[in-house]
Amino acid sequence: MNTFPHGIHPPGHKERTAEMPIAYLPEPEIVYIPLLQHVGKEAVPVVGKGDTVKVGQKIGEADGSISAPVFSSVSGEVIGVEKRVTATGHCMHVVIRSDGAFEEITSEPLRNPSSGQILRRIAECGIVGQGGAGFPTAVKLSPKEKIDTFIINGAECEPYLTCDCRVMTEYAKEFLHGARYMACALGLDMFYVAVEDNKTEAARILQDTLLQEKINAEVVLCRTKYPQGAEKQLIYAVTKRKVRVGKLPASVGVIVSNVQTALSVYYAVAEGIRSYRRVLTVSGGGVKSPGNFWVRTGTRVSEILAACGGIGEDAVKMIFGGPMMGFAHSEGDIAVSKTTGGILLLTQEEAFTGEGSSCINCAACARACPMHLMPMYIDGCILSGDEAGAEKYGAMNCIECGSCAYVCPAHRPLVQSIRLAKKKIRARGSKR
Amino acid sequence: MKNLTVSSSPHIVQKSKTTRGIMLDVLIALMPAFVMSVLYFGYHVIINAIVCMGSCLGFELLYSLLLKKDFSKQAVRQSSCWDCSCLVTGLILALNLPRVIVVDGWNLNVYRTMPDISGVRPVDYVAFSGDTIFICIIASLVAIVLVKMLFGGIGKNFANPAATARIFVFLAFASMTYTQTTGLGEWLPASTGATWLSSGSKLTNNQTMFFHMFIGNRGASAVGETCMIALLLGYIYLSIRKVIDWRLPLIIVGSAAVMALLFDGLPRGLSGARLVNNMYAHIMSGGLVFGSVFMATDYSTSPNTFWGSALYGFGIALFTMLIRVFGGYPEGMSFAILIMNCTVPLIDKWIVPRPFGYTKKIKVKSGAKPNTPLSADQKGKGGVAV
Repeated sequence: MNTFPHGIHPPGHKERTAEMPIAYLPEPEIVYIPLLQHVGKEAVPVVGKGDTVKVGQKIGEADGSISAPVFSSVSGEVIGVEKRVTATGHCMHVVIRSDGAFEEITSEPLRNPSSGQILRRIAECGIVGQGGAGFPTAVKLSPKEKIDTFIINGAECEPYLTCDCRVMTEYAKEFLHGARYMACALGLDMFYVAVEDNKTEAARILQDTLLQEKINAEVVLCRTKYPQGAEKQLIYAVTKRKVRVGKLPASVGVIVSNVQTALSVYYAVAEGIRSYRRVLTVSGGGVKSPGNFWVRTGTRVSEILAACGGIGEDAVKMIFGGPMMGFAHSEGDIAVSKTTGGILLLTQEEAFTGEGSSCINCAACARACPMHLMPMYIDGCILSGDEAGAEKYGAMNCIECGSCAYVCPAHRPLVQSIRLAKKKIRARGSKR
Repeated sequence: MKNLTVSSSPHIVQKSKTTRGIMLDVLIALMPAFVMSVLYFGYHVIINAIVCMGSCLGFELLYSLLLKKDFSKQAVRQSSCWDCSCLVTGLILALNLPRVIVVDGWNLNVYRTMPDISGVRPVDYVAFSGDTIFICIIASLVAIVLVKMLFGGIGKNFANPAATARIFVFLAFASMTYTQTTGLGEWLPASTGATWLSSGSKLTNNQTMFFHMFIGNRGASAVGETCMIALLLGYIYLSIRKVIDWRLPLIIVGSAAVMALLFDGLPRGLSGARLVNNMYAHIMSGGLVFGSVFMATDYSTSPNTFWGSALYGFGIALFTMLIRVFGGYPEGMSFAILIMNCTVPLIDKWIVPRPFGYTKKIKVKSGAKPNTPLSADQKGKGGVAV
């Protein structure tokens, strides 16, 4: 079975939503569309207060090469451009009051597109990596290195999340064609879809669809293990190549992209639909009616949760994304972006809200770390102010997957320490 | 909105595994050895265990309260002693002591009537030993305050508290810690009176002796170390619960067996079955198995990487056999553990795993072509596919 060394086996908790077909939520009346839904520079607003916009109309222009345009997800009137909090920070938001008509602007669909046309379309439609980081896909698909392998990451190793699995099951044809377009943009005639072996149903449907559609691709089953979907670990599982420390996957000739990114690429290329919506999972013990939903970017979390039966009395933590790498927030006013994979409300039994105790030196974190680091040394170094020591033990190589803190019997916030270490090391580096 | 907790990821943890849970697992794993030692050495072991565990808990609580200068109920509740690691130290310590220690001049013991023949040791006729209780308390003080808490508490101590306290007792009360016979000796005629090691390893190598060594019916100066079956049960339990790395005890026992061969068996000209028997006897005598399962695997005093542990285990086996064969003491396990404990910081400094995808920094000679890409057949080794 394809896998990587180390890693952990958290309970999946996917059963609550794994069989739930992707549904639609009541349309939002007001959307707050963040202009920074990607890595790089914030998009520049091109509409002002009082303008009327349509669905798919450009409201933010990409600023520089590593950036992406932003499109309206509703039709209606712009009632303001203001600074608001996002899941990962803050940026300018375009606030639009919906008129309920959802009149849409689309681009011309492409028939048998060339790789250049696909790349241009991906850039124009504002497609970014929807796995969480939000790296502009057009930039990712035009690397300097020679690429020989393209992998779609359908591992979905985060507990609770099932949206990628549902997309692969219900939109198998669209998804595979989207992935084919991406492979084509890279100049490749085949690609891999890596799926964890807890999603055999999805893998079977993908296999059947590949045969029907005559797409040259391979479904690779990987062992269900966290973080199977981490880029370097997935590349190792599929190709047995190791990405060198500090290098990008392109250095070993591999590009990895995400399931929903491929779906967005399909819609952009074949139907001309811009990137303004995504599928996300609403789950956790604090949600009354969990499920997978099509959500327009800019919809506030409070509205989504209200449509799912509201916040349960026993919820203690609200998380954007998965429970291992997601961001906890206490405000429901935050809008969903292209990269929000899930909204979780965890109860006291599920989530950890306590405090850590002393390290007992058991090295469980070292045995769990998929990057083979020594999290406890980094923790110890940075808490005693030794940044050089933290750097020596590989703090900068940490992928922040959270495996170490998950297994720690003393429940120490190891990832938080390593983030602090990274920040201090960077600050020290820039001072020099 | 209602009060929601905001904290750094990950938001879920493995709740089934906690510090206290691990310590309780170790206590459970020690239970067979404890029960067998009570069966073999009598009720004194229960008293010793209660005194050791109680005083270890008490000393840790007292130390943390004194350090904070806060004696409120909350401070008691927050004290580090409730993680139960002090109970593990206490129980291991009790199992590492003889059942009764009689100190000349203290005379706090109650004796049963001794038969009036010469050669009878008073230590075998103690009904209740006040001396032992005092020694248990002193040993607990050494283990918890001197070795563990002064260095910063759990996870920070460099030496194994129980091993150090045992050595302290054996050195400070050297003349009093006799090898003691098992209580079952009266029922099982073949029971060996003295240990195989202290008798100069010259006892007859017959099968009954090995059987009694395996079930633990032998004399010993540490009550918990005798029964191999109980120790094996504990080892299997700890390995299944993934509390200890199952390889470390095997490395220690395995390398000790090889060194018994090299240092003791071969130089004495033994061959064939006698050589193998000598090896078995070395493994089953003394605290080798007990120490390698319960003391060498102590988290804070053992290395954090597998290869570090392997080196550490080899070192323990080496020093144990050196002390046994060439040294003045019949038993060297706790000394060996303590010696190797001192090397752990160095081992952990030297042996650090390489990050995933680590490659050696290639020194580029001036004029040479830098960074020649590796060919595709080297893929998986950090090579660049071309």
